Amino acid sequence: MSRIIDVLVVGSGLAGLVAALTAAREGRSVRMVTDGMGSLAISGGCVDLLGYAGGQRLNDPWSGMDLLPPAHPYRLLGASRVRAAVDMLLQCAADQGWPLHTAATPEGAPCNALLPTIMGTLKPSYLLPDGLDPAALARARRILVAGVHGLRDCRPALIVSQLRRYRDWADKDFVPFMLPSPLGATHRSLSALDLARLVDRPRGRDWLIQNLRKHAGQCDAVLLPPICGSRADASIWHELNQAVACPLVEMLSIPPGVGGLRLRDALLRELRRHDFELVENARIIRATTDGKRCTSLTALAAGQERRHTARAFVLATGGILGGGIELAPGSARESVFKLDIPVPSDVTLWSEPEIFGNHVFSRLGVRVDGEMRPQDDSGQAWYDNIFFAGRSVGGYDFATEKSGHGVALATGWQAGRMAAATAGKFHEPASGEQL
Amino acid sequence: MLETTVVVIGGGATGMGTLRDLCMRGVPAILLEQGGLAHGTSSRFHGLLHSGGRYAVNDNESARECIEENMIVRRIGRQCVEETEGFFALTPGDDPAYVEPWAEACRKAGIDAQELDVAEALRLEPNLSPDIRRVFRVPDSCVDGFRLALHNAMSARRHGGRVMTYHEVTAIHQRNGKVCGVTARNSISGESLEIACQCVVNAAGSWSGRIAGLAGLDVAVSPDRGTLIVFNHRFTSRVINRLHPGADGDIFVPHGSITILGTTSTPTERPDDTTPTCTEVLRLLDLGEPLFPAVRQYRILRAFAGTRPLYTPGNAAGRKASRNFHVVDHAEQGLEGMVSIFGGKLTTYRLMAERVSDNVCARLGVHAPCRTADEALIPDPDQAMLRRAARYFPVQGLQLMADRLGDDLPDVLQQVELAGRAGESDGNPLLCECEMVSLAEIERVARDPSTHSLTDIRLRTRLGMGTCQGTFCSLRTIGALVEHGVPLELSPTDNVRRFLQERWRGLRPALWGTQAREMELGRAVYAGTLNLDGAANEQDN
Repeated sequence: MSRIIDVLVVGSGLAGLVAALTAAREGRSVRMVTDGMGSLAISGGCVDLLGYAGGQRLNDPWSGMDLLPPAHPYRLLGASRVRAAVDMLLQCAADQGWPLHTAATPEGAPCNALLPTIMGTLKPSYLLPDGLDPAALARARRILVAGVHGLRDCRPALIVSQLRRYRDWADKDFVPFMLPSPLGATHRSLSALDLARLVDRPRGRDWLIQNLRKHAGQCDAVLLPPICGSRADASIWHELNQAVACPLVEMLSIPPGVGGLRLRDALLRELRRHDFELVENARIIRATTDGKRCTSLTALAAGQERRHTARAFVLATGGILGGGIELAPGSARESVFKLDIPVPSDVTLWSEPEIFGNHVFSRLGVRVDGEMRPQDDSGQAWYDNIFFAGRSVGGYDFATEKSGHGVALATGWQAGRMAAATAGKFHEPASGEQL
Repeated sequence: MLETTVVVIGGGATGMGTLRDLCMRGVPAILLEQGGLAHGTSSRFHGLLHSGGRYAVNDNESARECIEENMIVRRIGRQCVEETEGFFALTPGDDPAYVEPWAEACRKAGIDAQELDVAEALRLEPNLSPDIRRVFRVPDSCVDGFRLALHNAMSARRHGGRVMTYHEVTAIHQRNGKVCGVTARNSISGESLEIACQCVVNAAGSWSGRIAGLAGLDVAVSPDRGTLIVFNHRFTSRVINRLHPGADGDIFVPHGSITILGTTSTPTERPDDTTPTCTEVLRLLDLGEPLFPAVRQYRILRAFAGTRPLYTPGNAAGRKASRNFHVVDHAEQGLEGMVSIFGGKLTTYRLMAERVSDNVCARLGVHAPCRTADEALIPDPDQAMLRRAARYFPVQGLQLMADRLGDDLPDVLQQVELAGRAGESDGNPLLCECEMVSLAEIERVARDPSTHSLTDIRLRTRLGMGTCQGTFCSLRTIGALVEHGVPLELSPTDNVRRFLQERWRGLRPALWGTQAREMELGRAVYAGTLNLDGAANEQDN
């Protein structure tokens, strides 16, 4: 027995969470079915809106929107909707005590920030939590660059050597420093997530504070891997900054994505204030449709099938990595409704010889209209109450554009709105009825 | 100007084997290789140490050489060989009338081919197709071609030989119809090097036509391109051959945690024509399916291609060309002191080296006999040393590491013990979990003067060859090397970019299924998070 819900969201990456939030904030009942954590499990926790377009790095991401091809999700939506989505996320995050904000030009206009990574490279991004804000670094003359013994992914010497290759960073003083492993002498390897979970607890914070204090006094800023807690808890951040008495800045790091998990934590907390239910470790195996309407999706979890009946559906199932798009020799399809995605039959034409080239496969996805409904080749909607969001949508390359979370946010917002409106239209039977 | 007696050209198994053979007979020799160690075909094949069964019917003499050399290489190259044995399996698509002549030819060549009950074969190899009709077990084995070249080089060094990688030969000098020296160009520094010598051995494999051309000679060697697929599973414990006349896509060879399916055969103009194509990958999968019905479900790690140096006098080509080898003394064409070795296969590298060394020694008046079949390439490390190493290296990867390192093991152990005593050690972490490669091993290899890039480190240690294909370990490695002050040829970001680019070349023709997911993870990390693509244009110096 299962009640009919208004909006069923498949996938719990950023697109799914935003779609669920948008629909829930409009008063709809929302259930989220997910088979994993999606993009946030590998994310740094900042929102890249648009870092590159037309072969140029963008200082102002909004100025690049017009340079994008017409099929790009931002073009389908239009800049004003993208702005509205950004505003909604800013508000939700602030409500949860995990504020995001943008960098600003000297004139005070919002702009992309350049975030240092554990490889010593810089990445443009737009919405940042406090811990990633690089403003203190720009002012700093002398920067402590911290690694941790046992954390193999973060080597201060590499970071310093590479940051120096950027003109703005070449003249700074860097002090590379290895913190002793909090586990003592051990051969065990650590991930940033292990350390972040340790820092969630007072003992871990003491370890971090005592070690940073030894050197931070002579420095203007501390650059460290993302280890300052695993949850969206700003009080930990403020406690650390105060105790070390020197501004801390975290670097972007490789998976596990500590920053992404914090953002997920904040959004799930916000969702729990609404009529929201989360079903984890469940994979959609079947769709039931009636003409141009989907009536239910059946999920498999722990060997049990369960049918989820809803008035509207948001598919935020991810792309090639997340499993929302399946590639086979010569063909591509969407994984739940098995929608065919047109591709050249010769796989050689899907990609370019250069690894970071302009690949066909990197933009493959479901074709949608401005309301995020899937379309067939003739521009007709396949279904009236299904909306796609995030990387399952075609037309953009998250990796080279640095637009992944931005598109997830904008399409998730739109899909959530449209699903909420559609559910409202079908709302004749009272919500909460039993099937 | 350097002086030596013999210059050997080509750093594959044959060239290294020749260098070792000459040095063991007391002949001073220098080996020049245009790329890194085993940069050519010795690291670009299926890694099968042939029993000879594959050649028994068509070329019984080759088959006999194979089984004899197979047994010798197992003995002298224990660290390079995994003694798996092999099956020849008759599928419903194969001609049953081929079986008896094949079994008879094996007997004649001295190959121990025993028929096995099909049910027993399926018990031993449960992923094999249940439709197979007959199975024979043969003494096939698996060999790491790169390591074989490396360990030959180590042995040669112990006997006074010198190996110079990244040295491309640009001229062969002669005086009065006799070889008197070579000019080589260091492809890293661009510097030119002159070496005076009395003899030149052309063991350049697919490139040997070009080398002969430098001396104004014309030789009948044709590169023949072979493409292979590497799977992320060891779905067979044994080498599996199809019991039919040699054809494309009929051999599966397990190595460590992976399996290789090979090989296609297409004549090519260029010896460096090594970019695999999608058509070849799909064809191999079609051809592999009768032996392993689930072959399409296994994740592909990458495809790769190499070129066979086929000896083709009178235009025999492809599979019709002989797999036998030929020693050509160019004195017959008016140039004394120049010898070329063509054709052959990795299994018989030692015999090829012996024959060419015999020729050179006869010219030099050296009478010392060949001893390469008697002495192990690498002496076994004593147990006390392995016990010491177990304090610093993960026990489960200890033997793998000792086998890879060969002569370098005592040195690596000493370094890691010194660092441990000085308290500098950060615990010798594993940087590559798939292949169990630790920091100390990587650091030693990286400091070797012949190492210039992450790709060189990959070949020697197998770093990045496993499940992650370098997504995690290449970054860790480059970070650790910068931390420990080990410089490489390229900047850290360029080095990782080139490493990923090489992986991409192997993944691109198979861009579907789970391998496409892994590839997107790599793009998410290196482009999406680390902005390696953007940084290429934005780092100012």
